[in-house]
Amino acid sequence: MASLTLRINNRDYPMEVDPQMPLLWAIRDFALLTGTKFGCGISQCGACTVHIDGEPVRSCVTPVSGATGKSITTIEGLSADNDHPVQQAWQEEQVPQCGYCQSGQIMTAAALLSKHPKPSEEQINAYMSPIICRCGTYVRIKRAVDKAVEINQKA
Amino acid sequence: MKTITTKSAPLGDSLPRREFLRLTAVSGAFLAVGCSPGMGGEGKVTTIDPAGGTDFSLNQFIVINTNGRVLLYNHRPEMGQGTYQAIPMILAEELEVDVEKIEILPSAADEKRYGSQMVVGSRSIQTEYANLRNMGAAAREMLKQAAANGWQVEVSECKASLGEVIHTSGKKLTYGELVEEASKLTPPENPPLKAPGDFKVIGQPIARRDVPAKTNGAAIYGLDIQVPGMLYASVERSPVFLGRVVSFNDEKAKAVPGVKAVVKTQRNVWGHTREGVAVVADNYWAANQGRKALEIKWDTGGLEKNSSATILKKYKADAAKEGVSLAEGGNVSTVGGEGKVIEAAYETPYQSHVCMEPMNATVSVKEGKAEFWGSTQNPNGIRSQLARQLSIEPDNVAINYTFMGGGFGRRSMTDVAEEAADISLQVGAPVKVVWTREDDLTQGPFRAASLNICRGTVAGGKVVTLEHKVVAQEIQNQTGDKMEAGRQLMGGINTEYEIPNYRVSGVLQKHYVPITYWRAVYHTTNCFAHESFIDELARAAGKDPLDFRLDMLKNHLRYTKVLQTLAEKTNWYAPKEEGVGRGVSILERSGAFTGMVIEVKKENGKVKPVKITTVVDVGICINPDTVRAQTEGSIVMGLTATYKGGIRLENGAVAQSNFHDYNMLTFEECPPCETYIIQNEEKPEGAGESGLANVAPSLCNAVFDLTGVRVRKLPLDLGAIG
Repeated sequence: MASLTLRINNRDYPMEVDPQMPLLWAIRDFALLTGTKFGCGISQCGACTVHIDGEPVRSCVTPVSGATGKSITTIEGLSADNDHPVQQAWQEEQVPQCGYCQSGQIMTAAALLSKHPKPSEEQINAYMSPIICRCGTYVRIKRAVDKAVEINQKA
Repeated sequence: MKTITTKSAPLGDSLPRREFLRLTAVSGAFLAVGCSPGMGGEGKVTTIDPAGGTDFSLNQFIVINTNGRVLLYNHRPEMGQGTYQAIPMILAEELEVDVEKIEILPSAADEKRYGSQMVVGSRSIQTEYANLRNMGAAAREMLKQAAANGWQVEVSECKASLGEVIHTSGKKLTYGELVEEASKLTPPENPPLKAPGDFKVIGQPIARRDVPAKTNGAAIYGLDIQVPGMLYASVERSPVFLGRVVSFNDEKAKAVPGVKAVVKTQRNVWGHTREGVAVVADNYWAANQGRKALEIKWDTGGLEKNSSATILKKYKADAAKEGVSLAEGGNVSTVGGEGKVIEAAYETPYQSHVCMEPMNATVSVKEGKAEFWGSTQNPNGIRSQLARQLSIEPDNVAINYTFMGGGFGRRSMTDVAEEAADISLQVGAPVKVVWTREDDLTQGPFRAASLNICRGTVAGGKVVTLEHKVVAQEIQNQTGDKMEAGRQLMGGINTEYEIPNYRVSGVLQKHYVPITYWRAVYHTTNCFAHESFIDELARAAGKDPLDFRLDMLKNHLRYTKVLQTLAEKTNWYAPKEEGVGRGVSILERSGAFTGMVIEVKKENGKVKPVKITTVVDVGICINPDTVRAQTEGSIVMGLTATYKGGIRLENGAVAQSNFHDYNMLTFEECPPCETYIIQNEEKPEGAGESGLANVAPSLCNAVFDLTGVRVRKLPLDLGAIG
């Protein structure tokens, strides 16, 4: 066990945890930010995607020790008013069904937009394909990514 | 207007303080977008309105504040199916309020007030439509009567519109002004209902209120529940289903920091007792680490000798049995007589639900009472389960249900709550049991595997005789000695086709592999066989497969309309594009009729679906955008089941363990989908599974159309099609 501090959404969260514990559980069970989801635990579904220093990362396989001293952004910190271009697009296209995987989808799409403001189809596929949605909202995610690009460019 | 939602606890001080604070905090965020946190629970939900005003309830679904605020209760848990929005839409339609201004809150789990709250079989709208209209209309009539009484006029001179009652003279009163008096009136038993032609809300693609909470992490799921003093449990279970714990060594597990206890536990799955060893810790990671350090000796009693191959061998041997007749007409003994005889056997594997939110349940058992928090399709069933298991009165079980991260039938089971209650009782603290993805995939229960034997005769371009025999396990009959197949086995076999001689029969299989309801259930196996076989018969008869179906459904107006619309939308009769294969199928599920055409092409030597066109007739459609979303989702689940994989059994256990070897369809693989909704005024039917079971036959029929290869075994290996 170790005392460490995670900086999540511009706030410090001191905690007493096993440094090998995946960041996912530190975020969910210690920082009590439950928007980041557990889906597979082996980096295969993307539901746990957060940003570390702006990069999309699978928090279920990232040890807490690898995230200290860095800036972590979770879905709760993506925007103050649920109005990041990706969030707006997701609402306009009515993407979520059960909604469980959508934090991971949105955080991934947000990372895509910040890296590639005008993404090619290949770039969209490369970012979005590894995120599983069992409800099958892919048809709408496709539309919403295009819309988010549009909103982002206008902003 | 800002409001704060609070909940009073039914069980003394059992309302979790931390959850209460979180819920309240979350409510603020939700209400900013006009939404509730999506958690329905025990106790009376009361609202505190800083702007003043008092709530009056007109019935269990409708609360109106004297300041005009309209609060509608949704009594059905939400797993993505969209009833969270559709149910209040039906209420709002008859109530005559501005649907944009209503507030939606999940109701308590209360069978006495709401009847069944189970969300299965796409039944919520189908079964509740009439009742919800009555509730909305009765409240509206009470408000009109209150106005008429106040004005001392005939109620027939008053009309209701957008939250106001208006007299023919032009004078008006708002619902807020009327609600106190209205609440004192006796609700009319048979209030007048609107004609469907006058609907303003029903039929509109209104944005779902639960969506904003699902784009910023605010929506609460079972896995997100935190209650004071809660411990986490991770349970090791026998990889071979039904394995019994002989002994276990928990020394190393208990040495893991954070581990508090190790206990044996059990749960019931359709009559079978399933044992496990639970590691209980003050955080989930520690519970999992402790679990990995357990040493358990299992008695699998020879079941480890089973595999997919041995099970299929038994099914094939039993397929020779005559089977129990489940439906028949004419005389099937004419098979082998005049005409061409066609025979085919179709195989489908077990499939897992793999809800994205892994199974979990939080239960606190204390002093003869129990409280449950979690994601469930079956809140009333969990109450009964915990009451029975703990030998307490159902009134002493409190149920708090959350949004579900998928359900697909898996969350209609109560076994995980049973496990959590059993562990909570043993350790004397609230316990959250969290299954890993591996637990979910390897423990089941699954969609049943099936062997379907079809035999038919065609003569003169028509089907003379058709036999369809289903060899499969039956969900409702998994234990005991009764070996007679029941009608559940024939789900999805279309007996509407006008075929002079037909017989549907079942040969029951009963063994240790656990099965349960899986979205669209037996339709997903039987329709693959039946609609593929109809295609085979059409080819044998030298007929166009769509026309062949139309010809056998001349007197079925709804199927005919679906097929004709499908032909129109896909340009079915136009010359086919070079290198394209097309397959068609139709089915009825939960009262809704669905037709689907899938187009396939070869790209880089591989066959792939390139376009999916679906026509659905759900009767009156409450929210067309939701019906489209459900159809798109069903297609993705159907494609996954058709060609991404199936559960394989080796050495008595599931051979796969997680998403790396049990694959899901991906974003990139999802083909363009077009969905058309038939407009009519038939009663609303179930839309939550529309199209799922069409996917396998439409895709396999398209593969045949393109390549001449007939697929009779799923999962289909698309890459291997020549």
